Amino acid sequence: MKTAACLVAILAAQPALAHPHVFIDATVEVIFDAQGRAEALRIGWTYDDLFSMMIVEDRALDPDYDGVLADDAVAQLAGFDMQWDPGFPGDTYPLLDGQPLALGRPEGWTASHDGTRITSTHVRRFETPVTIGASPLIVQVYDPSFYTSYVIAGTPVLTGGEGCTVQVFEPDRAAADEILMAAIAEMAGSADMEGEFPSVGAAYAEEARVTCGG
Amino acid sequence: MRRLILWSGLAVVALLAALWATGTLAALGAWAAGEQRAVQSALAQGIRAIRAGEPGAWAALMSVCFAYGFIHAVGPGHGKVLVAGYGVARRVPVLRLSALALISSLAQAVTAIGIVGIAVLALGWTRERVEAFNDGVIVPFGHLLIAALGLWLVWRGVRGLQAAQAPRAAAPEGHHHDDHEQDHDHHDHVHGPHCNHAHGPTAEQALAVGTWKDASLLVAGIAARPCTGALFLLILTGAMGIFHAGVAGVLVMGLGTASVTIAVAVLSVWSREGAFAALSDSVVARALPGVELAAGAIIAAVAIQLYLTGI
Repeated sequence: MKTAACLVAILAAQPALAHPHVFIDATVEVIFDAQGRAEALRIGWTYDDLFSMMIVEDRALDPDYDGVLADDAVAQLAGFDMQWDPGFPGDTYPLLDGQPLALGRPEGWTASHDGTRITSTHVRRFETPVTIGASPLIVQVYDPSFYTSYVIAGTPVLTGGEGCTVQVFEPDRAAADEILMAAIAEMAGSADMEGEFPSVGAAYAEEARVTCGG
Repeated sequence: MRRLILWSGLAVVALLAALWATGTLAALGAWAAGEQRAVQSALAQGIRAIRAGEPGAWAALMSVCFAYGFIHAVGPGHGKVLVAGYGVARRVPVLRLSALALISSLAQAVTAIGIVGIAVLALGWTRERVEAFNDGVIVPFGHLLIAALGLWLVWRGVRGLQAAQAPRAAAPEGHHHDDHEQDHDHHDHVHGPHCNHAHGPTAEQALAVGTWKDASLLVAGIAARPCTGALFLLILTGAMGIFHAGVAGVLVMGLGTASVTIAVAVLSVWSREGAFAALSDSVVARALPGVELAAGAIIAAVAIQLYLTGI
């Protein structure tokens, strides 16, 4: 019975986590200034077929449902995903030496539609330009609540930044699973179970690592 | 032989629990998440094909919907946890529990159809408003129903424990029954050695009384958590003027989900009976209220926690 009870507790603790409903292929571009410092990120999000269809239908932008949008309909799409609440960090998390770096609000956004999927892009400026030294600039892309599942698609682009290289790292899923199980065990054992579910989305994040001059 | 089969049920569950604890089953979850992405794309194509009137589009969408329901249920989820917990807590027959699993999966689909049918098609709500209503009102309400089910099981467990302690007076009656059986040996042959009514009144009463009450709480609690994918499908088909395709698709999704919850129902009854087969009937009769109480407490605690994090 103990096993069954444990199963019940473990299973029931996860429903919020395990079901992403939006799938995004993300692109990352790091933009450098004349001094070779990273000054901004251009992030691209390509939404899955179903969610793209939903956005188009929400706005009644494809009256004949053939997937082909008129030019003015595409123009109306721009900015549809940029109405962020003030506290929303934007699912983009840059790190240097393990410390999070502050980004500004999104700007310069675009949106396009290829007949099935919507792609949007936006630019986030670093609050202070980043000099990349011995340790790499890490850009993680994830939704802490895991409602949206992100994958970094293609090789990130470096604009400027002489002598810098970039590589995409997949998460260590086994390690992430351990973090998840530990978080659940901790929660199941505590008497007060109020508050948010542990934000373990970061452990599952894909990340781009930029190194310079190495 | 019967005992061996029952024991193996317990072994299967113990194995699954071990796989889960060691993270092996997380791979299954990851597989399900990856598949969900593929199925989600297929869903969009299926909707477009029906809208365009392509031949075979209906069969294609329905099979995608079944797969969506199945994959969704394979990932960690709330309906099958409750079915399993209830199956462990109450000595409910496997067919009845399977029927409950099927009914609750279909009821979940009907809830989604009702929400979208009324809110979107009749009242003209936006998708954002429907999702907010679902997350803010429907789902917390479902958690309260489940908490009520858990507390109800706890209360029944407490009552059962009290009843088990009070009447040692029941013992003479039991002896009388045993004597009765000795006088009519053929009864033993017909019923087998385990069919000893004198020792099992609490278990039988537990089955007879109030089953429909906690069954309806169980169904309502699961039904009040329509899946986001079902809402997506209904809203899309509603907007495109093919709502009937969405309704059919969501019901088929419910069947796909039920295929998993029924398997879980069978497994939970199998493991419970396996555990009980190892014990004598009198021990089972005394242990049942405790199991009921413990499982009820867990269900209530989890539901209250979900309610608190949900609001």
